Amino acid sequence: MLGAIYALIALGYTMVYGVLKLINFAHGEVFMLGAYGALLASWWMGHGPNGQAQQGSWLVLGIMLLTAMATSGGFGLLIERFAYRPIRNYPRIASLITAIGLSLLFQYGGQIFLLEGKFQAIDGKVMPASLEGDLKFDIKGKNLALLDEAKKLRPELKEAAAAFDEQLKSETSRFQLSPKGTELRDARDKIDRQIKDLENEANNGAVSISISKAKLLMFGTTLVLMVGLTYLVMFTKPGRAMRAVSLDFNAASLMGINVNKIVSLTFFIGSVLAGAGAMMWATFISGNKIDTFMGMAPGVKAFVAAVLGGIGNIPGAVLGGLLMGVSENLVDWAGYDGYRDAIAFIILILVLLVKPGGLLGSNKVDKV
Amino acid sequence: MKSPAKFWLTRIVSVVLAIVGAFAAQGAIDGMKNSFVALLFVLAGLYVTLAVSLNLINGITGQFSMGHAAFYMIGAYTAALITKLAWKSQMNPMAWVLLMIVAGAITAALAGLLVGIPSLRLRGDYLAVVTLGFGEIVKIIAKNQEVLGKAYGMNNPLKYQSIFLVVLLAILCIAVCRNLLKTAHGLSFLAVREDEIASAAMGVNLTKVKVSAFVLGSAFAGAAGALYSHGLAFVSPESFSMDMSFLIVTMVVLGGTGSITGTSIAAIVLFLIPEKLRDLSNVKMGMIVGIGIALIITVALIKRAQDHYHKSSPPKAVVVIGLTIAGIMLAAGLGAGLANIPGLAAEVAGSKLRTVLLAVTLVVLMLLRPQGIFGHHEFSWSWVQKVLGKKNVPNVEVAA
Repeated sequence: MLGAIYALIALGYTMVYGVLKLINFAHGEVFMLGAYGALLASWWMGHGPNGQAQQGSWLVLGIMLLTAMATSGGFGLLIERFAYRPIRNYPRIASLITAIGLSLLFQYGGQIFLLEGKFQAIDGKVMPASLEGDLKFDIKGKNLALLDEAKKLRPELKEAAAAFDEQLKSETSRFQLSPKGTELRDARDKIDRQIKDLENEANNGAVSISISKAKLLMFGTTLVLMVGLTYLVMFTKPGRAMRAVSLDFNAASLMGINVNKIVSLTFFIGSVLAGAGAMMWATFISGNKIDTFMGMAPGVKAFVAAVLGGIGNIPGAVLGGLLMGVSENLVDWAGYDGYRDAIAFIILILVLLVKPGGLLGSNKVDKV
Repeated sequence: MKSPAKFWLTRIVSVVLAIVGAFAAQGAIDGMKNSFVALLFVLAGLYVTLAVSLNLINGITGQFSMGHAAFYMIGAYTAALITKLAWKSQMNPMAWVLLMIVAGAITAALAGLLVGIPSLRLRGDYLAVVTLGFGEIVKIIAKNQEVLGKAYGMNNPLKYQSIFLVVLLAILCIAVCRNLLKTAHGLSFLAVREDEIASAAMGVNLTKVKVSAFVLGSAFAGAAGALYSHGLAFVSPESFSMDMSFLIVTMVVLGGTGSITGTSIAAIVLFLIPEKLRDLSNVKMGMIVGIGIALIITVALIKRAQDHYHKSSPPKAVVVIGLTIAGIMLAAGLGAGLANIPGLAAEVAGSKLRTVLLAVTLVVLMLLRPQGIFGHHEFSWSWVQKVLGKKNVPNVEVAA
């Protein structure tokens, strides 16, 4: 499920790289700003740190999502217009350093302007009640025969317990039982144990998967956004222009495409996707706090995901993101949670060494 | 062509001057009896070493590396670990520290080899990200190893803060880079930066050049790390964060990629200014907003003047300088004016502005002068002579 978020962020990296051949290191910060957008929207709607804790609704979630997307998109446009466009014709290193500078600027500048210090996380109550809890799928049912057997033993247990209670009345002390009392107690405990064993066996045989509903919603939203993106890129006029610019920047501008507009559009869409990812990350994954540095780790991992799938390649970014999420969870599951953040880089280095074009990418030969 | 006697004479005089200068620095700082100043001096010297050695990789060879803090860290941890295991108090501390410098340099150089080999397949942004990732991996490994003290870090049992060694290391690093540039080897490094494929076609051994740049640069960083570890007697993973790598990259870029002079000066300035800003008084929010607006307007105007101004009089430089002065005045005016607006009167701790200023410098610099303050120029005595009015001076400035 984490992979879905990585995929959303990775799309931003990959689209910008596709048209500009630029790694937008400030993308993680765009993600961070989107999360703040969602946070402020939720506060505005009464889910603030001291607000009355009423249960949220779908409307609240929708508004938060839209605010996050708008915030991120707006900042993406601003960054492109005022930081990247003026230096587009300089050597690539210049834009790389600008990107690092912007990233630092948002991280530390954000500490001044955004609400600092306090514990900041989106209140879990913004979710409507129907979204709470887990959805459970039974793959293999419980062993009902065993449960029946256990049920049949119940009356026996009752009898034994009653007999023991009867005996207890004639005993002087609960802790120093007469031989008969001990016998009755043992009999009762034996039946009790039998029932419990049967029940355990029945339950252990069952296999079921439980997924939190919020995470399913997250996955669903991601899918919808990706389908929308595919439609936009493959079947609309701006999408075709985008692909043309990505193929050959100069030739596209000679063919009458307004390159500046297309680059802006690409930044906007990439940032909007990051904003959506940020809102879901902050709302649905419990325990995710919001601070100005929160964009760093997911940003870097999403970048790795983009490279893994083949940077500049949209389906590749999605694949890479999902793989990234899975591998991270696998590392956790294997017990090396200290190395959780290292796995991204290890994957990155391996990919670049073995297949620099990425899984779905192609190798390009440089010419003098 | 100089005669061999004169050549060796200059060499010997330079070496003697360097050692005397280092002793003088040690004496001057010791005389001040201020341990904080001494610490700042040591760290500034180490940053000069780091920046110049990164300049060898980034500026001169053109391999964009963003994991320099990792080599620094490897050197520091090596020194701390070996000292912890093998140090006996009856040994001579100076000799031990020298030994540790060598050890730190060797381990860091091995790590540099490890990073340098993949760099053969990668260029530009990808290499930047791999080196960044290498830095993080090194940090995460240190955080998870019991013997390296996990997230807490480890103590170095031998505290030995030597300004003499720091200065000497910095001078050595600068000298190695400068002398490299003056030889045919250096030319092949520069050729790789300008165009890899063309230089390979001209017979430059790309593998050898790239790997030796990485090994040399990281060896110096490792040596600096060993000095850091003995100077502070404590190393922890958090002190070698990604921010430090960014800071070193900023030093190289600000000074002018390829320019050793520029890098050294930028290293000192960029290290000392944030330290000074630590005790900056609180600033009103309005002031920040005002200065920010003024900055944006000024940068936009200067950028416009740079790109679209083509008249011969007044010269472009005058226009730019005039705009800069106007911008500073605007910033002062707006800052003072907006500070009085009640809505923006909230106070902000000055120390929070340190990294913000760094970031703003970086972005503005890239917008206005992407080649760095010094560009590719170096300080040279012939330049000094020219400024002093002497004619017919040979131009020996390195075109780095």
